[in-house]
Amino acid sequence: MVSEEYGFFIDPQRCIGCRSCVAACAECGTHRGHSMIHLDELDRSASTQTGPTVCMHCEDPVCAMSCPADAIKRTEDGVVHASQKPRCVACGNCEMSCPFGVPLVLPGLEQMLKCDLCYDRSSVGLKPMCATVCPSQALLFAPRHEVAAMRGSRPLREFQVGELLVRTRNAVMVPDPETPLHLDAALLLDGGF
Amino acid sequence: MNPLSRLELEPRPLARAALATLALGGLVALGNGGGRWLDPALLGYLIASLFACFGVAYRYFTWLERPATAMYWRWTLRTFLSVRGLRALPRVGLKLLDQLFLQRFIGKRSIKRWGAHACLAWGCLLAFSVTFPLVFGWVRFTSDGANADRYQAWLFGMPAGSFPLGSATAFIAFHILDLAALMVIAGCVLAFLRRSTDEGDAATQRFDLDILPLLLLIAVSATGLLLTASETWLQGRNFGTLAFLHELTVILLLLFLPFGKLFHIVQRPAQAGVSLYKAEGDAQGLLPCRTCATPFIRPNHRRDLERLWLELGLDGARHPGGIHHLDLCPRCRRRLVMGAQSLRLHGAFDPFAEVPLPVEPLADPISFRS
Repeated sequence: MVSEEYGFFIDPQRCIGCRSCVAACAECGTHRGHSMIHLDELDRSASTQTGPTVCMHCEDPVCAMSCPADAIKRTEDGVVHASQKPRCVACGNCEMSCPFGVPLVLPGLEQMLKCDLCYDRSSVGLKPMCATVCPSQALLFAPRHEVAAMRGSRPLREFQVGELLVRTRNAVMVPDPETPLHLDAALLLDGGF
Repeated sequence: MNPLSRLELEPRPLARAALATLALGGLVALGNGGGRWLDPALLGYLIASLFACFGVAYRYFTWLERPATAMYWRWTLRTFLSVRGLRALPRVGLKLLDQLFLQRFIGKRSIKRWGAHACLAWGCLLAFSVTFPLVFGWVRFTSDGANADRYQAWLFGMPAGSFPLGSATAFIAFHILDLAALMVIAGCVLAFLRRSTDEGDAATQRFDLDILPLLLLIAVSATGLLLTASETWLQGRNFGTLAFLHELTVILLLLFLPFGKLFHIVQRPAQAGVSLYKAEGDAQGLLPCRTCATPFIRPNHRRDLERLWLELGLDGARHPGGIHHLDLCPRCRRRLVMGAQSLRLHGAFDPFAEVPLPVEPLADPISFRS
């Protein structure tokens, strides 16, 4: 079980694009050589901004709801696991349904893989691999009460997609966490990145 | 509180499971001449098989009631009956053969895993294909009339060849379950070895889901092999006790089928539908992302996922501009989080904004153990 006291905090603005997290992710015991972290560029021609994406571990995971094989399980500690090998039929429903674009159905393996907070580590009190190696702490795994003292921004765990409200275990750091983070496609169309 | 009082059974799957069990019972009776060719020594196995059939069917039909599963079931049927689907059948059939029998996709995960799974899967399938026809009375062996040196095989009450005792055919016929048992034990040992050294498995495995099925399979196989050992080398010593133990372990395994990991044996062929469905979508070409124009989703998948979301109560996932979230590719969904955070930090999205660096020293320097 991952301690409820510990949270995972993502701050894309701190990301320097070093890809340490991408390399480290593959080293975890549950990932078995497959990196499940995404490191995206906003728009290389306009910005140096990069951002890491790990699973947000939703309270009501849309990936699990959309899974026809009932292969995706959320444990009591709020961690949403990769699909169970015997059940997953690699249909890709989870990949296309995730609000945050996280799961990966790897070709050939016939299984969906995703971030599970490096469960072999986090369940025994160690940090996930990405948070262990991130030099700028854009990915931070720490006791929740310590984060307020470490950062000017605050953790936000609610995301709004149209009328759909998604609550998560992991948090994104923002200055004003009182209202959900609105994910509006207009930002991608008008922002120009 | 009595746990049975809290047992809530879904009426539709219950009725379907009852029908499936009745159907199996009917086929059993039909195949064994109304009980004439039934081996009374195998009656316990037969009753457990019917219970297992009911349990597996109930779970299967309950599984089909889930919105996502029901929808995939309908999609598959529709695709199967379409012209495109029929055209794709040979290719999908070959893929299914690869996935269900050769299981090469497991080899891509790990050779050790493939080795263990191949021994377990082929051993179990071999054992099931021999045991169930014997238990149902569909297949039986008798002495060949007055010739006690020959055995006669019967299939559904009709003669299906005879063979002399001591021949290679007789050896294979009487020891094929021993071969299956050895394969299953080898698979279990390989699985235990892998599970004892794999950090990922150690963190996520559960006794009831991952260990208990292996223990049950070993118990069934070992008691089965002991029966042969007793008969072959120990002049039948303790045969009765061993036969009882073997029957007990097999009944436990059969009753466990609907609840545990072994249920995937009946669930897994659903992959055929997925392959067919994907083949149909591929033939139509991928739809582009509404923001970056990268092709990413099959048209049938896009259409049906929206229907599924509607059924799941996720129909409000439309952006203020009218774009459905399903029309954004996974990469753009990830970029949205970055952009939205930037918007919060700077008031407007500014790709040239300075990245706020930590002003205080890092609270926890890089360490591999915390």
